[in-house]
Amino acid sequence: MIETHSSSLKTDQMFINLGPQHPSTHGVLRLGITLDGEVIVKAEPDVGYLHRGTEKLCEVRGYHHCVVVTDRWDYVSAMTNNLVFCLAAEKLMGLEIPARANYLRVAMCELNRIASHLLFFGTYGIDIGAFTPFLHAFREREMVLDLFEMVCGARMTYNYIRLGGVMADAPPGWADKTSEFLKYFKTKLREYDDLLSFNPIFLDRTKKVGIITAEQALDWGLSGPNLRGSGVSYDVRKTFPYSIYDKLDFKVCVGEAGSCWDRYYVRMREMAESVKIVEQCLAALPSGDIMAKGVAKIPTPLPGEAYAHVEGARGDLGIYLVSDGTSCPYRLHVRAPSYINLAILQEALVGLRVADMIAVLGSIDIVLGEVDR
Amino acid sequence: MAELATPPPPPTPAPAPAPKPPANVMPPEKAVPAGIRKVFAKHTEGTLLPNRLWPTDVWPNPWKSASYRRGALVLSALILAGTGAAFFLREIGVPLAALRETLHRFAEANLPQVPSWAAEAVWILAKALVVLHIILFNGLFLVWWERKISAHMQSRLGPIFTGKWHGVLQTAADGIKLLLKEDAAPKEKDSWLHSLAPALVFVPVLICFTPVPWGRDLEAANLDAGVLYIFAWAGLSVLGIVLAGWASANKYSLLGGLRSAAQFVSYELPRSFSLVPLIAIAGSLSLTKIAGYQEGYWFGFFPKWFLFYPVVGQISFVIFLIASVAETNRTPFDIAEAESELVGGFHTEYSGMKFSIFFLTEYAYVLLASCLLTTFFMGGGAAPLPFLSVLPSWFWFLGKTLFFMFCFLWFRWTFPRFKIDRLLDFNWKFLLPWSFVNIVLALPYIYLWKL
Amino acid sequence: MIGYFQTIYRGFADTFKGLAVTWRHLFKPSITVNYPLAKLKPYERFRGALLFDAVTCIGCNLCVKACPSDCIALENQKTPEGKKIAKVNWYSIDFGKCNFCRLCEEACPTKPKSVWHSLDYETVFYARNQMSRIWQQGNPWMGTYYDAGEKIYKTPEGDQIPIEEIPSRR
Repeated sequence: MIETHSSSLKTDQMFINLGPQHPSTHGVLRLGITLDGEVIVKAEPDVGYLHRGTEKLCEVRGYHHCVVVTDRWDYVSAMTNNLVFCLAAEKLMGLEIPARANYLRVAMCELNRIASHLLFFGTYGIDIGAFTPFLHAFREREMVLDLFEMVCGARMTYNYIRLGGVMADAPPGWADKTSEFLKYFKTKLREYDDLLSFNPIFLDRTKKVGIITAEQALDWGLSGPNLRGSGVSYDVRKTFPYSIYDKLDFKVCVGEAGSCWDRYYVRMREMAESVKIVEQCLAALPSGDIMAKGVAKIPTPLPGEAYAHVEGARGDLGIYLVSDGTSCPYRLHVRAPSYINLAILQEALVGLRVADMIAVLGSIDIVLGEVDR
Repeated sequence: MAELATPPPPPTPAPAPAPKPPANVMPPEKAVPAGIRKVFAKHTEGTLLPNRLWPTDVWPNPWKSASYRRGALVLSALILAGTGAAFFLREIGVPLAALRETLHRFAEANLPQVPSWAAEAVWILAKALVVLHIILFNGLFLVWWERKISAHMQSRLGPIFTGKWHGVLQTAADGIKLLLKEDAAPKEKDSWLHSLAPALVFVPVLICFTPVPWGRDLEAANLDAGVLYIFAWAGLSVLGIVLAGWASANKYSLLGGLRSAAQFVSYELPRSFSLVPLIAIAGSLSLTKIAGYQEGYWFGFFPKWFLFYPVVGQISFVIFLIASVAETNRTPFDIAEAESELVGGFHTEYSGMKFSIFFLTEYAYVLLASCLLTTFFMGGGAAPLPFLSVLPSWFWFLGKTLFFMFCFLWFRWTFPRFKIDRLLDFNWKFLLPWSFVNIVLALPYIYLWKL
Repeated sequence: MIGYFQTIYRGFADTFKGLAVTWRHLFKPSITVNYPLAKLKPYERFRGALLFDAVTCIGCNLCVKACPSDCIALENQKTPEGKKIAKVNWYSIDFGKCNFCRLCEEACPTKPKSVWHSLDYETVFYARNQMSRIWQQGNPWMGTYYDAGEKIYKTPEGDQIPIEEIPSRR
């Protein structure tokens, strides 16, 4: 698999400690990389630099408080974290969510998917060496964050989706602002394609690079855009519809070859799909309550267990929640997609060059807050 | 939450503080704290904007904004002022030549004991100093310009604070900071080579500027083998970069240095070969003669620039432009310092003035490449239309050079970075063959022109 | 052969598309603001630094229970006989722990809220002990902090609520 240089030359392998303080590890990931020239022989992801023990923290906090903790996992798309925890807890408590809350939840999650993928788009541009897409992406991301700020007052750790509903109703004018953004964003998506997606240098850097086959992807348990980039049509929103996704019309974007570019472009197309979903949600937004009746101030669900999973921005985000009848969860486990996606680096990076390594690492799109939790 | 640990008791409060502002009323404005906090306190005096600036609000009609109108006005005023100044200054080559004559005559008349070459030596020294300052001020200007242009391409403002008007003094402030900065370097560095590398990078670029014709009779020296001279010296800079990579005792630096060695050596070839048609047509290696050859107009109005020679000129231009960007080590060819991969590449372990010399060199190479592009392809100081030659040649040279410098910045802030192996592929399998093809295509021109 | 030239053409064409995008943006006004000199006002619901009003507070402890990170503590005033009354003696928020989650504000039963998020996103602390804010009757909304060195309570330096003269109090 690895090309070695001519044996007459006396060569040695070089160990490079990539991270935790490296511009391209997107946080505090450490990669121990053994190089032969510029070719990678071995790559060992080393995680845990951002470990805060949030799963354990949830065991000493009430259910309402846990929502605050979920914000801190995948801080780039905290809405989906909120949602998945609430879905699991609501299963335990048997709560019925009002329709308006459901629509607001889905609109928020999809807006957050756009924000998250925009961050990916920008940082991937930087990984590949283009700086301008980063700030263009942030310009649009800022607008999404403004929309969030209008509704829930926070730009990053929302704590918006609550047990039984959502925190607050959309303020007047919010829907108009959102439609304004969506209309504008559709033109920007085309511009991103001009700027980066089809740039010959970018294609050269990412097409046919870091190919993960469908079998490999399934073997390593990839999910989300990384799995779909390899050609497997698996989307929790379609396969196991939750909330109101079965009522919405959207496509599952699937790549072809499983290269970096496929994973990248799946995300770009997913943003267009998310735009469609948000538009549908806004059009069909019912009136009514935003909070279910009878949500206890200090919920004490009956002993039992629940698993809920949603399609987060990074993949299949699942929560396993066990209740022992007290006011705190007995155990909470997170199936964090970033953490599981990260594992494939050990296999995917071998045989690539240093520059390709950055392209692959960027295309996996990890958030260290979710990897380490 | 009975399960929650009881919070640690806060310190027992002392009796209520003496000043008692009335409840629910904001306390009166406090005096600005002394010292460095004054700077921070000042920032709280900002004007509060009523709403967010969404692109959808701002972009449909930018002329509504007063600052946009003002910016457009200032820019056009600057261009007009530059043009006016050039019109009144005329050719500065003429008074400079007179000045040189005066110097010589003064030396002959008043200082009979000094040898006759001394006056010329003083003149050469003055020219060297002028070129050095051109490079230094180019660095100051170009860094600021790059930051502004990149900012506007990215919907930002860029430096805005230092120097009142759009942060014009930002680079100067940064330079002072770099000058005063600690020279931090790893303990294991090869200390002598570590210091030598920046010098080895900088000196060649300084020397390279010798034959550049800034306008009519404005070159530092009219060398007969100017083209060869420039390429020979420019190639030397790579030694400094490799040394920097080696001496830093850092793996990233080493990778960066070795990458740039491969890159520089490869791109020298198409860069030189793309000029062969031009040299053959112009029949000289002197930059002054090459620029002079392109003066004049076809049909009385169409400039005889090499860029406009059908097919050959354009192929040459594209190859030379691409190779020049590669030689200047900038995006999309900045693999030697690829930030996202190699942290900072060969200058990861440099700081302070040593680092800024690398930086300065990069910008000096941008200037050099722009000057060369102007000289080779845009006729140097030749005016684009006959009636425009009322403006002096140095004005046109400067204008074209600025245009090419802008192109360099433009490329940098648009493109992603090549990969080292693809970069070499691109060179050896695309640029170099096409530069050979170009030489063949140029044969009819040489035959027609030179016969 | 034709494919080769097509590739070259596509490459150059796509390159110029990218250049056109940056060129267009060069002449568009920036959307950022010159921050310290110009500031954006957050939206009405913005969750900035917490403020507290000791006058309206009834010392019901609901915010203490609602806080997920234990950053709120309070003590009721007592009658001379030692009986708790619905007034706070002191109230403290540790901003080093605060999550800005709005749960305390939602839990507050008084009208207007006794503890609420202001629009202040510029809360700066020069020292760690300044993060712990303490309120008593008559203190300003932004509270005081305990200076461990001088062993006295001080009002925070600098304008702590410069963003909005009238904090949004729900």
